[in-house]
Amino acid sequence: MSTRTIFSSDSGVVFAKRGISLSKSYVILGVALSLVGIILSNLFHALNSLNLINLTPSTSGPAIESVFPLVGVPIMVLSALAFTTPVLLLYVYDKNNGVLEYFLSLGMDQSDVYRGYLKAALLLASALVVFEVAVNLGISLALGGITFITLEVSALTPVMAIPDVAFAMIIMMAFSSLQKQRVGSNQPLGIAIGVLIVLPTYVLPLALPTYAIFIDFLVAGVIVVLSVVSFLLASRLISREKLLP
Amino acid sequence: MHTLELSNVDSGYNSSTVLHNVNFKISEPSIYVVLGPNGAGKTTLFRTISGILKPSAGKVLFDGVSIFASKEARRKMNYLSHFNAVPEEMTVYGALKFYENIEGGNADEVLDLLSLGELRDKKVSDLSQGQKKRVSIAKVFLRERDIYLLDEPTSNLDPAVSKEIRDILLKLSRDRIVLYSSHNLYEARDVGTYLILIKKGKVVLYDKISNVKSREYRVGIKASQDISKFVDAKFEGGYYILNVSTPEDAGLVLRELVQKGVLVTEMRQLDNPLQELFEDEGKVGA
Repeated sequence: MSTRTIFSSDSGVVFAKRGISLSKSYVILGVALSLVGIILSNLFHALNSLNLINLTPSTSGPAIESVFPLVGVPIMVLSALAFTTPVLLLYVYDKNNGVLEYFLSLGMDQSDVYRGYLKAALLLASALVVFEVAVNLGISLALGGITFITLEVSALTPVMAIPDVAFAMIIMMAFSSLQKQRVGSNQPLGIAIGVLIVLPTYVLPLALPTYAIFIDFLVAGVIVVLSVVSFLLASRLISREKLLP
Repeated sequence: MHTLELSNVDSGYNSSTVLHNVNFKISEPSIYVVLGPNGAGKTTLFRTISGILKPSAGKVLFDGVSIFASKEARRKMNYLSHFNAVPEEMTVYGALKFYENIEGGNADEVLDLLSLGELRDKKVSDLSQGQKKRVSIAKVFLRERDIYLLDEPTSNLDPAVSKEIRDILLKLSRDRIVLYSSHNLYEARDVGTYLILIKKGKVVLYDKISNVKSREYRVGIKASQDISKFVDAKFEGGYYILNVSTPEDAGLVLRELVQKGVLVTEMRQLDNPLQELFEDEGKVGA
């Protein structure tokens, strides 16, 4: 079997499993944040279904309650970042331990190496996002029918979370020397970078409910562009020397 | 027969050049000991040959093919670095299987080869430094290669395991090229056939080790009686010590002592001629 074969087939699964076994605390944090995001996204719908509040369209624009589910989106993006952090930590760990250097010595290029870790992060992020979207839609259905805002949340979550994870991973692999070395007890910079980009979506939808959807899709668009650009530049950003311990 | 050729190679990290105009050609299976003081560029040389670092100038050719342009050429060599490069969260067997899945080979066979059977189910993070080194070496032997680049393979190993590794390498070197860096000059002399001496990023000597001669040999002799009345020797640290110009002169001294009825129980060279290389290559005649 050539090195190429393993790195283009199941390397993502292997690295995802290794990452999870190294740092379970971030996985738990990711799932917990995911549940918080799901709860926030469905809170007003649930209260409305229980007749505890009354969501009626306002003539002067959407009420805060009607756009409040969007607050769950950045929380779920954060959950994806936390959930995939073990892969980032694994990358730093493997770099410091000489594993990445050994991969290069086996004839791989730097793109073969970093793509394995990126694939692992995207696999984990996708699994979590699919879970979040499915649960969101399920809850919405159970509460009396899928609402338009639920569909928006379900569309925005993957569009924001997956590229955000990709961008944070690539940037952190390129600047992994900034990462603290000990696994499990540090606060990775990758999460901070990922959160920084989606920061407007935490407050602006509530501050400007009329433009909430527009703001979220604009931020999603920016994230997609950033992730595509960073991916295209990845081989330059992550030079072979940056993989050495 | 394979050839490895470095032609006018400059290499290093970012803007810092460590290797300067390195040239040598290897075309004979054997053990080539790479010697040099700390920071001389040994690791950079190994990283450049293995294709980890791209030379900023010159070429590294394996069988006439640029190793940096050909993944296939790079896969014909294996590199053991200072770093163990073994996933520490795995068991010994799991780590070897991990690499088996990537590069092929047989994890069970290398477990036996490096006598790692007892450690098979232990976590790598729980092993001693020497045990980790053995696992690291085991992964290098997963698949047969044409060139082995081994950066201080016996560091952290006990003498018995070091000998096992040296025996494996000696066997390999019958039909493969082994580049071997070491700070242990006695080991280098024992195991190596050729010497590549690096200083300040330049190859200052490339020759057979047997051609490396000292200006003067310090010989220690243990004998049944005081030999200082027969030869010019001083008694220090349990040995009668004398200086001779050539190994043949030492033989003549021995014959003279035996002829005078002295029972010589031990005779040994006290200094390693390779030692001088570290101090001043100008002293060495080759």
